[in-house]
Amino acid sequence: MKRKVKWDNLYLIIMFVILYTPIFYLIYYSFNSGGTMHHFQGFTLEWYKEVFQDTRLLIIVLNTFVIALLASAISTILGVMGALAIYYVKKRRMKNLLLTLNNVLIVSPDVIIGASFLILFTIIGIQLGFTSVLLSHIAFSVPIVVLMVLPKLQEMSPTLIDAARDLGANQWNVLTKVILPFITPGIFAGFFMALTYSLDDFAVTFFVTGNGFSTLSVEIYSRARQGISLSINALSTLLFLFTVLLVVGYYFISQRSSRLYGMGGRK
Amino acid sequence: MSKDVIIRFEHVTKQYDGLVVLDDVSFEIERGKFYTLLGPSGCGKTTILRLIAGFIEPTKGTIYFNGKNINHVPANKRQVNTVFQDYALFPHLNVFENVAFGLRVKKMKYADIQEKVAEALRFVNLEGYEHREIREMSGGQRQRVAIARAIVNEPEVLLLDEPLSALDLKLRTEMQYELRELQRRLGITFIFVTHDQEEALAMSDQIFVLHKGKIQQSGTPKDIYDEPVNRFVADFIGESNILPGTMIADFLVEFAGKRFECVDQGFYPNEPVEVVIRPEDLEITTRDQGKLQVRVDSQLFRGVHYELCCYDQHGNEWLVHSTKKAEVGEEIGLYFEPEAIHVMRVSEAQEVSDGEGSDET
Repeated sequence: MKRKVKWDNLYLIIMFVILYTPIFYLIYYSFNSGGTMHHFQGFTLEWYKEVFQDTRLLIIVLNTFVIALLASAISTILGVMGALAIYYVKKRRMKNLLLTLNNVLIVSPDVIIGASFLILFTIIGIQLGFTSVLLSHIAFSVPIVVLMVLPKLQEMSPTLIDAARDLGANQWNVLTKVILPFITPGIFAGFFMALTYSLDDFAVTFFVTGNGFSTLSVEIYSRARQGISLSINALSTLLFLFTVLLVVGYYFISQRSSRLYGMGGRK
Repeated sequence: MSKDVIIRFEHVTKQYDGLVVLDDVSFEIERGKFYTLLGPSGCGKTTILRLIAGFIEPTKGTIYFNGKNINHVPANKRQVNTVFQDYALFPHLNVFENVAFGLRVKKMKYADIQEKVAEALRFVNLEGYEHREIREMSGGQRQRVAIARAIVNEPEVLLLDEPLSALDLKLRTEMQYELRELQRRLGITFIFVTHDQEEALAMSDQIFVLHKGKIQQSGTPKDIYDEPVNRFVADFIGESNILPGTMIADFLVEFAGKRFECVDQGFYPNEPVEVVIRPEDLEITTRDQGKLQVRVDSQLFRGVHYELCCYDQHGNEWLVHSTKKAEVGEEIGLYFEPEAIHVMRVSEAQEVSDGEGSDET
């Protein structure tokens, strides 16, 4: 008895292998004591030690996280407000216009966004550095948050708002006691999306980092250009692991909230 | 005036983008009664409910609540609570917090909230369910939570927007009894919206039949069933045989080529009218004993009765509900009492239709 080959499964496996091979190749050689990426000589953690001893690098890691957390937190607040504003717009055409404007920002190339921010910051005289990077990260994260929150709002039955008002709630009560709790999963999703976008953004950041300030992706890029050092591999591996952790964390949060909010949506 | 009026609509019109959904409607709602707004979808019944709840404002006219104009009072400032069609329970809160929502908004003390919520849940037979999540509740239980959440605020008027439509038949009948019982115990005004005429007849003190944004008829269930004022009401409430006829004189009407004794009066001589006879008022007899002779065209067994579709020699269709069986193709006689004949003016809305005079105009 031969088992039938399932072509669709095979295709899936091949695709994943192609996508993940470079990453695992990179991870594999981060443990190479030989110092090159083509001949594995022996196992070592030397490159990881080097990463953790490099204070400049650690500061950059810290910068990256501060930027990412601040940017995603602020853009989550702005994005939720934006989504609410779009939700409350009555006219259909106006609503679509706002949504389109939002989506254009997401699909437009990072290079253009980065370049235009560079021009903007030079014109209004903002020093390139922490502030400029933070501002631009907030700017490209807000549309993502809007996009994650809006479907949740639209999923909410409008009678929930009627019901709250009927029970004596004023506008503020309606927002804090009904709408925000309902869209919490969307807010979390938006926050995590913004966080990952901010953490691994290269193109926009590359334009607006001045002298003396850098984020991880920009730093890795400039080090990779200087020549091969396996500490970059080690650093990338750590970043990759962290991203996986984020994804797993997000998975569990969304699992939990989908159990909690499995009903009450519009039929 | 002995009537204790709580809500009064005066020439209320509501338009959406120029589309008239409620057309110059005036009526009064008395305290402590069970009212039903009955009509097909799109007749304006839910609009009336939303006007009373305060979700929308009338385009024209005035709504009075306890004698005060409430046109511009927002929903959260009205002594009215609503049970929604989809229940609109808050999915992120458990049963207790759902019921407590209105009290929390009013910043009531926690001990009082606990007491009131427990009492409201007792009223709807949901004791001990406080800490359940909404998603763990069945449709019927969610319905009860929605009712408890509304009555815990001690409204003067409870609005119910087709609350039973999502339940299965058995549960729906059960809830009809419970709602009626609840209304008696609470002693507050219920305004119930439905498109189900049986529901309306079973539960209400007063029914408003609505069609095309106008009140077609208002009255007790018996009034409306026995004396429909026009074709729409006769057709919508229960099944009926509606035939063109002529009012020869008081107590004498002609239809289907014959003259019959009836109990209606006050029409012009020879006025063209419409005659309604309910299918269950028709009795099957032998051909000779019947007042009318018809041929059985088809027969359906409906459980409680047989439903016969017959035609007379003029081609009029007669629907008959009878516990007796007949043979298809057989010629039978139909017998009915003079009281079974209801005479209506042709295409009339609301106004007096017979000599007895109705108590609302």
